[in-house]
Order: sequence, then structure tokens, then C-alpha cells
Amino acid sequence: MTLVQCLLLASALFSVGVYGLITRRQAVAMLLSIELMVNAANLALVAFAKYAGAPTQPLVLFTLAITVAEVAVGLALVMLLYRRYDDTLLDAASETKG
Amino acid sequence: MNSWIHVLSLDLAVVAIAAAVMLVDALLSLRGKSLGWLVVAALTGVLAASFFVDVVGVTPHGAYVSDAWVLFFKRVFLVAAILGILGSIDWLEQRASRRQAEYYALVLFSLVGMMLLPGARDWVLLVVAFELMGVPLYVLAGYAKNDGEPDSPKLAAEAALKLFVTGAASSTFTFFGLALLVGLSGSTMIGQGVQPSPLASVGLLMIIAGFGFKLGAVPFHFWVPDTYQGAPTPFVSFLSVAPKAGGLAALCVILMSTGWIGSHELWGPAIVLLSVASMAVGNLFALPQTDSRRLLGFSGIAQIGYVLIALAAATEQGLAMALFFIAAYVFTNLGLFLVVHAAAENMGGHGIAQMSGLSRRSPWLGGALLVFLLSLAGIPFVIGFWAKLFVFLEAYRAGLIVPVLIGIVLAVVGLFYYLSVARSTFMAEGTSDARIHSGLALRAAIGICLAAVVLFGLWPDPLVEGANAAARAFMAGR
Repeated sequence: MTLVQCLLLASALFSVGVYGLITRRQAVAMLLSIELMVNAANLALVAFAKYAGAPTQPLVLFTLAITVAEVAVGLALVMLLYRRYDDTLLDAASETKG
Repeated sequence: MNSWIHVLSLDLAVVAIAAAVMLVDALLSLRGKSLGWLVVAALTGVLAASFFVDVVGVTPHGAYVSDAWVLFFKRVFLVAAILGILGSIDWLEQRASRRQAEYYALVLFSLVGMMLLPGARDWVLLVVAFELMGVPLYVLAGYAKNDGEPDSPKLAAEAALKLFVTGAASSTFTFFGLALLVGLSGSTMIGQGVQPSPLASVGLLMIIAGFGFKLGAVPFHFWVPDTYQGAPTPFVSFLSVAPKAGGLAALCVILMSTGWIGSHELWGPAIVLLSVASMAVGNLFALPQTDSRRLLGFSGIAQIGYVLIALAAATEQGLAMALFFIAAYVFTNLGLFLVVHAAAENMGGHGIAQMSGLSRRSPWLGGALLVFLLSLAGIPFVIGFWAKLFVFLEAYRAGLIVPVLIGIVLAVVGLFYYLSVARSTFMAEGTSDARIHSGLALRAAIGICLAAVVLFGLWPDPLVEGANAAARAFMAGR
């Protein structure tokens, strides 16, 4: 694989994540889509380190740590949603209006 | 040259306070409001120290640069956190008395993230600080989980999830853009810059998108009204000002760094577009709102449009006036949300119609509300007037004539909804004449905001000079 192929793969993965985020209404599926997007970014970071010698590899550790913190909060919020509505569909939770 | 401990002493002090809050809560189990007052006192100490301790300097490898620019932002963040916590003390004691320490600790951790942002000169530090600012806010937005508004169902889960999903998604955009830019430039320093190329432009746009989310600029604004409506109002007073100042600081650091593909021709039009879209969407969508929090959400989107127009000017003066605007916005919007909170606690809800008769039930709150509304609308002799005037003037000088004209027209549109709130509180008859009771801390916070809005409105020079010095230091040291 070359750098360009890796970046194309990362972009494709990222696009799949965006597509999932837009189309899914299930909160857990949206979390999974976000994970997919993060991993696409990680793939691009690693690819740049391997093929272009850029100092991006350590960055992956930071993005992973940040994402873990985010997902921990996100899953707690999904639990909150489930307790409130007995469902994890985001459509159930659209009571704010105006 | 100061050692890095000196350079970061204010931030370390806030970390220490946050750790102490959690320890004190675990060991002593303080009752009542004392913990909140202690945090306010400690943060006031840090704010005072910022005027006496010399923190100018650079950390090893130049990852963090501290100068007048950083100090200006740190003071703005500290003031916002102090006022935000002061406004929350009574609400926390009433509605979440067993979960007070976590609230303060989360606000403090978010504050540390903000305080690190303006001085970051390394992509890694910038991104980590930005997430440190963001993640506690997701938790805080859902803090009212046991607490239904008198007139509406519990919205905490929805408010927090909407903030979280947009926030987490936008940070993945930041990560991907970061991968492209650091990969192409071969260095994690922001000032390094990259050769102009389509791929670099894509990276820059993805990063602007990621950071634009916290600013709440159009088209990254969808979370704003929903989260403002569902999150606890005293927290929204903090959320509506401090992260926006943080987003502005990060955007300035990224866009204005030298050596950057950010020649102004490249990102200038993008920022002008964001600015005009924010002013238009914010002002026009605010018109039909019936909930005061949603109205203020859209008004906040519009106000960010005014800041961005000064940023688009890309001059030292324009930057200074953007700083002045955001400082003015902190006092005005924070105070306004706290007044709305105090009124809603007593009047049964946050609807604009439910505010009717506020001035009769509490002339003091009604007067404060009027002053804050006039400041947001930009009426002379309150701080918001100078902010708007300076911002438009600098953008005009930089040749952005059409966006300024659009902005002025939309600012006039803004008068309608600001004054419709004022009319409801002053003219309309309320259902009750009972006096309004609010806690000492809440009244103190509103009083400080009111004093700042009026005093800086009559005498804006000190704040303007501070903003000028900050912008000068930033442009010289970038």
C-alpha cells in the first residue's frame, strides 16, 4: 500500500462513519459511527508516519485517550436517555422545540 | 526567562483547586453552600494573582507561549467561571445538593482546558486542551437529570446527547484535519505551516469545522437552542459564553499563525461566509421564538457572527475588537441568563410570556434584564454598544463593506426580539404581584455583571486598552 491508497481508505472509512451518523437514529449506532470516524483519522495518522515520516504516530495515543473519555461520557448519556424514555432512539428525545 | 512552572502557574493553581474540591468532598462532606463559596474565593484568588504573578514566558520546545494575549483570555475565562459558579450555588443546593462537588470540579477542569487554549502553539496541546474544555461540558449539560422544569418534561438527556453527538462528531473532524495537516507539514508546531495544496485546504476546512462547533457558528449551530433549553440555566450562563471565547482563541491561534497556508486570502472568505450566515440565521430564527432560552440561543449565534466579522478583518485592531466584543459578551450574556434563571424559578417557566410583570414583581431584576437586553442590542452607553460599534468599524476599515452593511441591517432586526422581551417584562400584566426571592449568590453574580456592563459602557477605555495590548502581543509573538 502507498500513502495515497491508505488516505483513500481512511477517507472511505470516514465517509461511512458520517453516513452512519446521519442516517442512524439509534444512539448506540451513532456512537459506533463516531468510533469509525475516529479510527479513520487514526489510520491516516499512522499512514503519514509510516510513508511520509511525519511525527504523527504518537498523536494516535492522544486521539485514542480523548475518544475513550468521550465515549465513557457518551455511554452514560445513552443510559440516561434509556432511563428517561425506555428507548435509545434519538427520535423519542426531541421534546425541545421552537 | 521563567521556568515552565511559572509560566503555567495559574493553570496549575486551577488544577489544584479542582483536585482539592474532590478531596474535600470525599473527606469532609461539607454541607450546604460553603463549598461553592470556597471555590469562588479560590478562583478570585487566582484572578487576583494573574495581576501580580509574572507568567510571561515559553515552555520547553515552544509548545506553550504565555504573554499579554494569554493573560487577557485567562482573565476572561476566570471571570466567566467565577460568575457562572456564583450563579449556580443556590440552584445546586436546592436541586442537586448531593452532587455539588462534581459540578464544581467539572467546571474547573473545563476551565483548565480553556486557559490552556490561547497559549498553545502545538497541535497536540491545542487539541487536548480543546477536548479537556469540551468533555466536562457534556456531563454538565445533563446535570439536571432528576429535575423537571415546572412547565416542561425533563430535557436533560436530550440536551446533553445533542451536545455530545455534535461535539464528538466535530472532534473527529478535527482529528482527521489534524492528520492531514501534521502529516503534510511534518511538524506538530502550529506555526510550521504547509505548502498550499488541495489536501491542505481540506485539512484546514475540517479543522475550522471542528472548532467552529464550540463557537456555535452557522452551519455548526444545531445543538445551540436545544441544549440551552434542556441544560440547567445557571450552567447555560457559563456554557453560552466561556466555550465561545475558547473557540475564538483557538481559531485565532490557528488562522493567524505565520507560515501557515493561512494566507488571509485563503481563509478570509470562509470566515466572512460563516459570519454573515451566523448573523442572518441567528437574528431571523430568534424572531419567532417563545422560549427565552431558545431566543437567547439564536441571539448568541448572531453575536458570534459579529465577532467573526472582526476576525475576518485579520488586522491587529480587528483582533483587539474581537477580544473586546467577547469580553463584553461574557458579562452581558452571563448576566442575562442568570436573570432569566432567577425569574423562571419564581414565575413558573422560561417562556417569554411567563416573564410578564417581572419588573413589577422585582424592579431590580427587571431593570437588570433591560440593561442586558439593551447591551446585546447595541444601544448607546452600555458595553454592547461599543463592542458592536468597534467591531463594525474595524471590519469596515479592512474593506468588508458589504458584510458590515448586512450586519447593521440584521442588528436592527435584532432590536425587535430583544425589545419584545423587554416589553413583555415591563408592559404586560403578570398573574401575580408576589415579590421575587432569589439567593444571595445569584444576586451577587447578577449585580457584578450589571456593574461591569454599565461601568464599562460609560468608561470602556481600560478594557479596550487590555484588548489592544493582547492583540499587539499576539501579532508580535506569533
